[in-house]
Amino acid sequence: MPQLTRRATIALAATTALATTLPRPAQAAPVRGGKLIYGRYADSLFLDGVNTELNVDIWVLNSIYDTLLLPTQDGAGLKPGLATKWDLSDAGKTLTLTLRDNVKFSDGTPMTATDVKWSLDRARDPTQGAWNSLLASVASIDITGPATVKLTLKHPDPTLLPVLATFNTGIFPSAKFMAAAGTTLEEKAKSFAEHPIGTGPFMLTEWQRGTVMKLVRNPHHWRMAPDGKPFPYLDALEFQVIPDDATRLLKLKAGELGGSEFIPYARVSELKADATLQMQLWPSTKINYLTMNVRPKLTDGTDNPLSNVKVRQALNHAVNKAALITITTRGLGTQMTSMMSKATPLHDGTTEPYPFDLAKAKALLAESGVAPGFEVSCMTLAGSADEVSNMTAVQQMFGAIGVKLRIDQVDNATRNARYKAGDFMMRNALWTDDLADPSEIASYILYSPTIQSLHSGWKDDKVDALFLASQEEVDPAKRAAAYKQMQDIYKAAAPMLFLYESPYPVAFGKKVQGFLQIPLGNNFFDEVYVEA
Amino acid sequence: MTRTTWVLGRLLQIIPTLLLIGIAAFLLARALPGNAVLAMLGDRASDATVDRLMHQMGLDQTIAAQFWAYITAIAHGDFGTSTALRLPVLRVIADRLPVTLLLTGMALFIALLLGVPLAFLAALRANRWPDIAIRTVFQIGLSSPIFYLGLILLTVFAGWLRWFPVGGYGDTWPQRLHALFLPALTLALSLAAVIMRSLRASILQVLQAEFVDFATAKGLAPRTVLGRHVLRPAAIAVVTLIGLNVGALLGGAVITESVFAVPGVGRLMIDSIFARDYPVIQGLTLVLAVLVSLAFLATDIVQVALDPRIGPRFGK
Repeated sequence: MPQLTRRATIALAATTALATTLPRPAQAAPVRGGKLIYGRYADSLFLDGVNTELNVDIWVLNSIYDTLLLPTQDGAGLKPGLATKWDLSDAGKTLTLTLRDNVKFSDGTPMTATDVKWSLDRARDPTQGAWNSLLASVASIDITGPATVKLTLKHPDPTLLPVLATFNTGIFPSAKFMAAAGTTLEEKAKSFAEHPIGTGPFMLTEWQRGTVMKLVRNPHHWRMAPDGKPFPYLDALEFQVIPDDATRLLKLKAGELGGSEFIPYARVSELKADATLQMQLWPSTKINYLTMNVRPKLTDGTDNPLSNVKVRQALNHAVNKAALITITTRGLGTQMTSMMSKATPLHDGTTEPYPFDLAKAKALLAESGVAPGFEVSCMTLAGSADEVSNMTAVQQMFGAIGVKLRIDQVDNATRNARYKAGDFMMRNALWTDDLADPSEIASYILYSPTIQSLHSGWKDDKVDALFLASQEEVDPAKRAAAYKQMQDIYKAAAPMLFLYESPYPVAFGKKVQGFLQIPLGNNFFDEVYVEA
Repeated sequence: MTRTTWVLGRLLQIIPTLLLIGIAAFLLARALPGNAVLAMLGDRASDATVDRLMHQMGLDQTIAAQFWAYITAIAHGDFGTSTALRLPVLRVIADRLPVTLLLTGMALFIALLLGVPLAFLAALRANRWPDIAIRTVFQIGLSSPIFYLGLILLTVFAGWLRWFPVGGYGDTWPQRLHALFLPALTLALSLAAVIMRSLRASILQVLQAEFVDFATAKGLAPRTVLGRHVLRPAAIAVVTLIGLNVGALLGGAVITESVFAVPGVGRLMIDSIFARDYPVIQGLTLVLAVLVSLAFLATDIVQVALDPRIGPRFGK
């Protein structure tokens, strides 16, 4: 048992309690060997945690690379990974990590303290990737023994431990990486990621871009299964890329795929009824919402009705979220009770902030002083069945209080360009956490300096101050109190239209057991086996 | 003018066409809102990260500077690196192009196999039941959207009957031909319909020509009349149609490849547009333009071979 901080111990206890309720089926003795073909909607692009921001990469990186700590099954706590022990000392300003013995990379070379220091140094290098700020509190990293590494911090950092369980701090073989083709770190990362070497349960053997990714068991993997041999159970894991939902499901039903991600909600009940398949809905940190631009003027110089808090509250009250959950997620979603998911640590709230109430919506709109009959627009991802379904329903709901909604269907790059320029009134959005900590989502949604609170232009000085303080707060109770306060202020100001939370829908053939998708989205195939 | 100089002249004409298409691809790709960094980073990236990556990719330069860099690189045979896949553009295209060529080749073959015999059957039985049946079926083929037709074929022949794999590609040649049959058929149906209708009309027209009456009156066997005097002039129409439809076939491959999860350049094009992967969009547009131009040239050559009256007068 590693030494845990008090917060981590609480999280661990909560995890153990939760784990028993989660649907990871434990059947008879797992079978070793075999191959699983898993259908994905899109291929990975860059298998390097430091340089990627995309879920298509992040959600599979953990099959190839390990981190020092690992997220627990509920995505909210931590457990030992490549480090077996972590001690915070010096009032939280020194972290000493004890590395696991006899860990080898998939090429058979041993993992050393040098690899750990080098990997963390690259991850925190301000010139590398988009995630280096996660390790901004680290002042220096020192090797203090053959199996110990010491991190000296500029200030206490409650997010540091969760960061050490996040994809961008995966451990690489430093010598092999530096021997990869290229002169700069980025070029080396590019060539190394074509043939990645990690300590994770699988290793990549073949990658036909956009088509198929073939992985096989890493014979040197460190984590032991109950049968006394190392994980994974599978000999081979193949990711096939099938972008079209209908084709992917047909392939699953024909038995050509052992499993598939992203089952459209509209097809979940059909797959549940199929005796040859098992439909799984994994608890997630996924929230669906509409970001509202709260700036007084729009980019074309006209007045923005959404700058009025009463208008934003009215629109929130006008939307019947239960109806959206029924229409779009076929009843599989749940209502949002804060700006972050219920699975996110330090989430606060038991009821929806703005229950459906037309009378209240109309009253708020009248109080707002904004002339009735105005039009708002909302950017919607073209081709997204879920978003289009939500927006057509919301259009009618807004109509009931006399507000017109124009749906602008755009593609992703267009949406991001207009979003970044603040050239929008509302936009559809969804979010999943990457970190077993609320600081990531809070830094984007609550704390304005990061990206102006999701480019909404909303800024609250109290929230900004609370967030900054919470980033150095090591007392879990005080940090939780700060988070409650921030969430309350945000709810009242309503810079978003709260829609719903939704699970990750995946499906497998009846004989495939042991898959795990944690609320952060990461797919775990190490304990997967195929029954005889 | 000899045949060789004529062909060379036609080849040289392709160069200005490619130049114009290259410029259009460059400008159109940049006319799309957003850019590779915004498409790649998603909605979380900070301004500093976006600016750093835009600088790395040279996207912070003026359009003119980017264009000059693009032209000089192409002149050196360098098509650049895919911003999304982080691989050389030519390697990405070379990996995918054979798949699309095989798919469109198979589609063309199937279209001819269906269209030509049925056109004869329909023409020789004009306005009787075989003609009406053939035209009705092809009318449906012609008017169904490709993605819908593809899904129906997939559901019936791959999902229910299990005669074919549900989309994908294969590792061996027999597997690939097997996997590509349904997408090729999907792609072929509308072209087969066009070929059938046009060839049927040509045959009917030729059948009424006086030289056919003369050939028949001369006592030639009906088979000889059809083969020598009807098929040859009618074939010109088919060759022209095929030439004109190569572009449409490649365009159709974009949708077919998405429905059937075929890893060809069609899907690559869609992915690249969504990712604002300018180097791939530009490189692929040029490669496809070369293919279509060569198809047009081949059409001209075959037309001239079939009917020397069409082409220029070749001297010694």
